[in-house]
Amino acid sequence: VKSRLKVLRAEKSWSQGDLADRVGVSRQTINAIETEKYEPSLSLAFKLSAIFDCSIESLFQPDPDPEHQNP
Amino acid sequence: MTTKTKTDLSGRISTAMLLLWFFSYALARGIMETAEAPAVRVFFALLPIPFFIALIVTVFRAIDRGDELFRRIHLEALAFAFPATLTLIMVLGLLELAVGLNPNDWSYRHVWPMCVMAYYGGWALAMRKYK
Repeated sequence: VKSRLKVLRAEKSWSQGDLADRVGVSRQTINAIETEKYEPSLSLAFKLSAIFDCSIESLFQPDPDPEHQNP
Repeated sequence: MTTKTKTDLSGRISTAMLLLWFFSYALARGIMETAEAPAVRVFFALLPIPFFIALIVTVFRAIDRGDELFRRIHLEALAFAFPATLTLIMVLGLLELAVGLNPNDWSYRHVWPMCVMAYYGGWALAMRKYK
């Protein structure tokens, strides 16, 4: 999925570590989500959307390239 | 306690367990070079086992306390290590039938560290994937 996490985090001037502490995951997890190497679980997506006060759909969107989509 | 603090603490406990197991294993190997009484040999042969089980329990707890990516990385390490171990044992079994392997080079005590290496190989690959 495409993630807007990096943009929203930058708007709040948070480091990856700051955001990781707020949602209770490691900095590596935030980095992997931002670089679109890892798709977060639904519970983590809900936590992230609550932190940024937005919907999950505005935070994550399906990758338009079908090769990158999970079956 | 933050995620980083928890990870640091579990890392220290795992390291302590690893050292305890390592010294008990080295002691057992040393004693078995000299001891001749079967009861003594069996006792020292089994001495490292409780420490190794404690190490495994510590690692399991650390994985359970980790976040979702941490757990996924270890799952992928396992998904790599299990078939790699199966392949290794199958190859050794076939070679044993074909040419007969020297037990001084290819006994259980030589093969189990390769299983550990397979796990860490899988772990390194997964870490690189999500870096």
